[in-house]
Amino acid sequence: MTLTATRFDWVRQLVHRESAIVLAPGKEYLVEARLLPLARKMGLADVDQLVDAVRSRPRPDDTRQIVEALTTNETSWFRDGDPFTALTSTVLPALQSARGPAERLQIWSAACSSGQEAYTIAMLLEDAMPNAATRVSITATDISREMVERTRAGRFSQLEVNRGLPAPMLVRHFQRAGSEWEVSPTLRRMVATRECNLAAPLPRMGPFDVVYLRNVLIYFDLPTKQAILRRVRELMRPDGWLFLGAAETTLGVDDSWSRVVIGRTSAYRPLKGA
Amino acid sequence: MTAIDAGPRRRAGDRPPAVAELIDEATVTEITEQAWLALVGEDEVLVPLPAPLPADTLSSWVGITGPWTGTVVLTTGRDTAVELTRALLREHAPEVLEDEDVDDALGELANVVGGNVKAVLPGPSALGLPEVGATPPAGSPADTLRVDVLWRGQPLTVSVQSPLHTEEENEVPL
Amino acid sequence: MTVRALVIDDSRAMRRIVTGTLEGFGYETRQAGHGQEALDVLHEGWVPDLCTIDWNMPVMDGLQFVNAVRTNPAWRAVTLMMVTSESEHGQIVRALAAGAHEYVIKPFTADAIRDKLALLGLLPQEVSL
Repeated sequence: MTLTATRFDWVRQLVHRESAIVLAPGKEYLVEARLLPLARKMGLADVDQLVDAVRSRPRPDDTRQIVEALTTNETSWFRDGDPFTALTSTVLPALQSARGPAERLQIWSAACSSGQEAYTIAMLLEDAMPNAATRVSITATDISREMVERTRAGRFSQLEVNRGLPAPMLVRHFQRAGSEWEVSPTLRRMVATRECNLAAPLPRMGPFDVVYLRNVLIYFDLPTKQAILRRVRELMRPDGWLFLGAAETTLGVDDSWSRVVIGRTSAYRPLKGA
Repeated sequence: MTAIDAGPRRRAGDRPPAVAELIDEATVTEITEQAWLALVGEDEVLVPLPAPLPADTLSSWVGITGPWTGTVVLTTGRDTAVELTRALLREHAPEVLEDEDVDDALGELANVVGGNVKAVLPGPSALGLPEVGATPPAGSPADTLRVDVLWRGQPLTVSVQSPLHTEEENEVPL
Repeated sequence: MTVRALVIDDSRAMRRIVTGTLEGFGYETRQAGHGQEALDVLHEGWVPDLCTIDWNMPVMDGLQFVNAVRTNPAWRAVTLMMVTSESEHGQIVRALAAGAHEYVIKPFTADAIRDKLALLGLLPQEVSL
C-alpha cells in the first residue's frame, strides 16, 4: 500500500506552505510511516483516508498535527534557539529593571505540544536567576488534552531528550525514571498547564510579560490570525514581548505591534495607544 | 529490594534480587522498540507476539556486572539477522555483506539494548563488550525475563537472564 | 571550509552509520575502532574539529580517550561528543566532567546528531528533512 501521487502532492504542498520544508519525491514511505499513527488515532484505517478526510474538511488542528508529524522541529529543545537566547540576553534584563523585586514574571508557552518549549524556558531562567522558581511562573497551554497531560507529567523518552537538549542541562535538570527521563520537581512547579483553544475566546490568564506563540499562526486564515493576535495582546502587559515562529510575523496581519530585532530573531511588542 | 518470595531454589539473604523484580517486560519491549525505530527505521515497529524461532539462529549478548549481574541476549533466525543488518546499514551497506558485518550489526544492537537495560537496573554497573554466536551463555531458567516479538513477521527474542546457579546446573536450560 | 570528524566506535556498522550521517552534512571523516587507534590518528597530525566517541571499546575505552585528549593542549580545540549506549545519569556526568562537550545516547536518529551539531556550532550547512 503506497500513498497515491495526488495525495502525496497534497501533503507536500501543505508541509511546504506551513513550514517551508520540502518533502522530496520518493518520501512517500516517510509520509506513510509518520502519518499512520495519526490516522489510527482519528479512527481511520490508513493515510489515504486521513488525507481525504482533512482535504474535504480542513480544520487547523488536524493540519497542524499532520505538519507536526512530518516536521521534526517541534520535538527538539533548543533547535532554532534564537528566541531562547533573546530571552536571557535582552528580555529578562529589561523586565528585571522594569519590575519590582517582588513581582512575579509571567510567561506563556502557547501551543506547548509535549512541553519542550515550556521546560526549555524554565531551565534557562532557573540557570539565569537565583530563586527562579519563586519569581517566575510559566503557563503552558495546548488545544490537545493529551499534549497538556504530557507536559504536566514532564516525562520524556530517550529519543526525545536526544533531540537538541544540551547534555549539561539534561544532567542538571532531569533524572532517569525507568526507561524515560523526568524533569526536576523544581521545574515542574514553575510550569502550570491548561487546555486552551487559541481560535476561541481565551480564559482569564496573565497578564503575561512574555508570550511564545511559535508556529501556530501559520495554520490559520487571515481573520483568525488577526483575532488570535488581538486576544493574545489583551492578555499581555503593555511592555511585554511576543515571540513568533521563524516563518511568522505580525507585519501585514495586525499593525498594533512593533518589531524589535534581537540578534538573529525578532520580538514583537504592543504599540502604545494602538 | 529484598527477594522474599523468589522461588524454592533461592536462599534468603545471599542472592541478588530476581530480574523480574528489577525490570518488567513492557520496559524491555519499549527499549528494544526504541532501538529499532531509531536505528533500523522509523516504521520498523516490533509486534509483541511469540512465534517459534527457526532451527538456524544467531544470538548476540552483552554482560552486565553490578548489583545485578547477568546477560542481555538477542536471538533471531540467521536469515533475519542478515536482513536486519541490511536495514540497519541502509545506504551505508557494502555491496556484499560478510558474516563479520552481520555479527557486528547484531552485536551492536545487543550493546544498545543492553546499555539501556543496564540504565534501568540498580547501579553502578559495567557493560561488557558484545559477543555473537549460535549458542549464547545459558541463563537461569527460573530467573530470566524474556520478550518475544516479530520484526517484519520474523521472530526475535530479547532475554535478560541471571547466570545459571550451581544447584541448577543439572537442569535442562530453556 | 571543510569540517572534519573522527568517528570512534568498535562496531563497524555503527562507524558506517555515524560516518554516513556526518558526510551527509558535508563532513570529511576518518574512523577508528578504539581509543588508542584514535589517538594514533591525532598524533599523526590529523586533528579533527569533532570526535564522536563510543564508550565501551577494547584496548582503550571512550572515557580514557577523552582524558587523554584533554591532557594535550594542542588538541584543545577538538570538540568531543560521546555517542554511546551508556545512559545512566551518572555516566553522562562522568563524561562531561572528564571533558566531553556533548552526549548522544544510543539509539539515536540522524536528526539527533544534527541537532547536537547545531548546538555545538558544527553544522556546516543547513540540512532539511
